[in-house]
Amino acid sequence: MSRLSPNLVPMLVVALAVLALYWPIMYLANIPAAQRALDTGAALPCKTAFECATQLRSPVLPSPQQLWNGFLNLMFPLNSPNAIPLNAAVTALETLVGLFLAALVGLFFAIGIVASPAFERSLLPWIVASQTVPIIAIAPMLVVVLGQYGVQGWVPKAIIAAYIAFFPITIGMAKGLKSPDPLALDLMKTYHASPWQTYLKLRFPASLPYLFTAFKVATTAALIGAIVAEISTISFQGIGKMLAENSRASDVVGMWVIMLASAALGILLVALVGGLERLLTPWRQPRSSLERPRVPRAQPEVGV
Amino acid sequence: MRPAGLGWGLLGVGLVLQLGFIARWWSESEVAPGGLRLLIGLGALLMIGGLARVAPGFAHTRNPVLGFVPAALTLLAFLLTTEALLRAYQVPPGLIPTPTQVLITLHEVRDVLLQDAYQTVVKEALVGYLIGCALGLLTALLVSRYIFLERGFLPYATLFSSIPIVALAPVLVKMMGIDWPSKAAICAITVYFPVVVNTFRGLTEVSPMALDLMRSYAAAEVQQYRWLRLPNALPFIFTALKLGTTLAMIGAIVGEFFGANGQGLGFRIQIEAGRFGFDIVWSAIIVASAAGIAWYGLVVWLERRLTGWHVSFRGG
Repeated sequence: MSRLSPNLVPMLVVALAVLALYWPIMYLANIPAAQRALDTGAALPCKTAFECATQLRSPVLPSPQQLWNGFLNLMFPLNSPNAIPLNAAVTALETLVGLFLAALVGLFFAIGIVASPAFERSLLPWIVASQTVPIIAIAPMLVVVLGQYGVQGWVPKAIIAAYIAFFPITIGMAKGLKSPDPLALDLMKTYHASPWQTYLKLRFPASLPYLFTAFKVATTAALIGAIVAEISTISFQGIGKMLAENSRASDVVGMWVIMLASAALGILLVALVGGLERLLTPWRQPRSSLERPRVPRAQPEVGV
Repeated sequence: MRPAGLGWGLLGVGLVLQLGFIARWWSESEVAPGGLRLLIGLGALLMIGGLARVAPGFAHTRNPVLGFVPAALTLLAFLLTTEALLRAYQVPPGLIPTPTQVLITLHEVRDVLLQDAYQTVVKEALVGYLIGCALGLLTALLVSRYIFLERGFLPYATLFSSIPIVALAPVLVKMMGIDWPSKAAICAITVYFPVVVNTFRGLTEVSPMALDLMRSYAAAEVQQYRWLRLPNALPFIFTALKLGTTLAMIGAIVGEFFGANGQGLGFRIQIEAGRFGFDIVWSAIIVASAAGIAWYGLVVWLERRLTGWHVSFRGG
């Protein structure tokens, strides 16, 4: 028996149930639209509304056949500038560079918060406030302003991704840096360790588990940032550009395919972070299959 | 206690330097000479130094208003320095407007922005948020009750949390039209998954001792939920509800990027950013932030009312 087995059968059943329900719902949603199309005399290669439900140009819900054709159209040739693989790679690059920048900024703020109460009192409220505001609103403007100063292409998108991702990292890192056992901290003091040594040998390793939890949240956030930045500006590459283009062209099936592709990209990137986590924190054993299925931690919360 | 007088002094001198420069350069149209620009830098440094000396004095206060003083001073210093720098370098207002200009614009276009805010916040974000939260709570109750659903559904919920929901926005807008219901749907879906996952954790992570006690009293399942599981879940639920306020605002604004009926904060931002009307963009951002913070504050207030007994609120 593999480790996944207790979840596997129910997950398959649920997936099958959703698939089985999809057909009737698809017909239910599309038949009125198909009827309207027939009534207006649109050129359709079908006679009845039932037949046409799977062949509409802009269906409410696309049929599996349409999705598959759309997937083949958007996937191949693999190196075409209008196909998903290249654009997804660009968006992934922006996300990862953004995450790296966010990690640097987050580390800086986290050390500030842990080291100085003055820093915490004067800046933390604004770091929190920057999250209760729809930061996405800033994206269109930031791209235009950066463009004026010659920063173009994927760099502004990475910066926006970083701007959106730095908060979870800051909070997770600050929590992690504060997490070592007080006894261990006292021990470092009795050894007369410098603050530098305390950070390097005790606080950083102790913060890793928190950091990776935060990183997973930040990865999704950064991906959202990158996609929105691509949507809201003139871009030539990326998932967001494909979304915007297909939205303008009213290619509904294409949008569904791109949506599924970006979902896959999100899952892939988070899995990548998870793999890195297992590599870097091998002392944290995965829980056994007898326990509850793994649930992500609650979002990092701030006490202000 | 270090003498705070020096800190206040530094802060005051820095403020006066900055204000003096802004007044001097208010109606000039040339880039300020190097000496004056150095003065701005000096003023900024003095304010930072003053803040660093003043802020520790507020570090352990319990009065929320006093505790906010350092943050307010930081904002003031930041705004003044930005204003001074923008004026000193004569950055065109079409690129980065000065804070005063943004405030003036905010006052001028307040009627339009209030209508936008009503559309975005109340009709789209709030309606979507309520629907998403209600559905999420129901789902979590069901999932926590039936182990089969837990095993079959919950892994998908965690999977969905790593999906960029914005990609859904254009599809929903195409499906449901450009009016507000499509954006409400985006908000509902965005809010739904965090609520399910968090509520489920709260409902199931109860102490085994308490469960055993309930069982030994022969408590019915309804009673178990009413007196043990739901109260235990409240802090978790509120974490998700707080997170949801931000997500709903983002969902509504991004949804409007894909088509709106001529109203809404996201629509306004998109249109004005394209026209380089950044003073209006900033005004819209201020309105959106104010709405976001007020909403967040409302949820926090509710949380305090309903979970005042929880550890994280004890001892002030």
